[in-house]
Order: sequence, then structure tokens, then C-alpha cells
Amino acid sequence: MKALRLLFVVTLILAFGVGVTSCNQVNDADIQSAAQELLDANPELAGVTVTVQNKVATLTGTVSDDSAKSYAESVVAGVKNVTSVVNQVEVIPPAPDYSALDASINAALPDALKDHATVTATVQDGVITLNGEIKERDLQVLMEKLNALNPVRVENYLTVKK
Amino acid sequence: MVLREKYKELVDLARQNNLLISESGNVLKVEGTVPNADVKDRMWDIYKQIDPHFKSNDLVLNIKTAVRDGGKVRVVTQESRLNIRKGPGTDQPVVGKADKGDVITLISKANDQWWLVRDNDGEEGYCYSQYLEPVQ
Repeated sequence: MKALRLLFVVTLILAFGVGVTSCNQVNDADIQSAAQELLDANPELAGVTVTVQNKVATLTGTVSDDSAKSYAESVVAGVKNVTSVVNQVEVIPPAPDYSALDASINAALPDALKDHATVTATVQDGVITLNGEIKERDLQVLMEKLNALNPVRVENYLTVKK
Repeated sequence: MVLREKYKELVDLARQNNLLISESGNVLKVEGTVPNADVKDRMWDIYKQIDPHFKSNDLVLNIKTAVRDGGKVRVVTQESRLNIRKGPGTDQPVVGKADKGDVITLISKANDQWWLVRDNDGEEGYCYSQYLEPVQ
């Protein structure tokens, strides 16, 4: 009878223990999906992934600025049952958009190059690349015109002639 | 910082004239408006002394000279006469010419590249601004 009672107690403890553990796992998974759902609702946090272990949420992934990084943390910190947040999100600023600058330089280039028939110029990402040849005395005039177009840089591969 | 050292003389002059000095991706950028053409010419002279053929590709010198509408500008072509055009662009027909050294009147600036001017015969039209230098 005593042995039977012991077995009962042991079984109960085991069952309870397993129950607690599995209950904990279910909780983490639930917290994680709730947190992820909130993150996914914000387009600027689309690159952020959350994992939850023992109610501690860890954020990974990338965002475009610091404010998005701290916003992600505050969103997840507000999720029920999250005890703390480890914020490992990386901030990677987006590549600047040079399309407007390229367009304005391209529009002004024919006029700037008009008196320099032996020079060719291309524009990409705000950088003007020069090829061809030029007389030394015309070079500064050309450079002044091109610098006035406010480029990011001028790449000068011109052959300079006396 | 290396670039500011390389172009120190230019940077000092730019500071005196309250120009904007910035550095990004190994390019030093100096931009703004100076009170007269002498300052702009000095800056380009310094640049040329440091880099005679402008080949180091690490400086953008975007300097404009202050000039008000109604002010006088001098034609600074190298030897040819300056075309005065019907509209702002080299695709526009030539309506007149100004001689090198002529001092003409700025009516207004269509944009940074093209200025509306009146020559001494009263002819009005657009000239490429890089060939015009404000007269004090």
C-alpha cells in the first residue's frame, strides 16, 4: 500500500513537472507569435524577428534607423508576459537615392559640355565620370562648370593636352 | 580629416567666407556663395596648385559669386564671343553675342546655369552663367 502511494506521488510529480515544462514552452511560443504579430503590423519593423525563451524576448534583424530599433523594443516590451527584451537589431541606413540629382546633372550636362566636344561624361549616383581629352587651358573652365552642378564627385580620366 | 589637411589653405579660406565644408566617402565638399569673383578665383587657384589637372577626384568646389538682379556682370570667355540665347539652353537659338570683357546687365537668374541678361545694345537673352563674372 505504501509502495503504491509512493508510486502515485512519483507519478504525480513527474506528470506535474512535465506539465509545467510543456506549459512553459507553449507560453513562450504564444508570447513569441503575439510579439511577432505586433512587429509585422509595422512596415518599418518588417525586418525584425523575435524569439522568446523563458519569457525573455530577443530581437534580431535589421531596420533603417535608431528610432525604429528602439520602437521595436518598446513594441515587444509591451507584450503580455514578456519580462525583458534583448535588442540585437542592427541599424543599416538605406542607400541614398541619387535619382533626382542624376536627373538634374544629366539635364545640365549638354550645356556644360557644349564647348568641349572631345569630352564625354556619364553620371551615376551623383558621380560625374569624364573621359576623352582636353586642352590644359580649357580644363579649369570645364571643372568649374561641372562642380557647379553639385555632383557627389567628379572622376576625371581626361587626357590633358598642352 | 586627411583631406582637410591636404586642402588646408582652401579650407581656411572657405571658413573665412562661411562656406559649407563637408566630407563624405573620401570627398571633401566646399560649397556656398562668396561676395566677389576674386575669392572664387583664389579658391580655384589654390585647388589648381594642389592638383594641377584636377585628377585626385576628392574635392567638389561648388562656389557661386553673389550677384543681385540688376547688377553688372563681365563676360569672361577665353577668347570667343559669348552667345546670348533666346531661352535657357544650348538648344535655343542665338539672338546676340557679347564680346569678351564686355560688362552687361544681369536681369535675373533662370537657374544656376542660365542667367537672363541685357547687353549694351539693349538685346536681352540667356547666357551660360559660368562665363559671367559679377562686377563689384
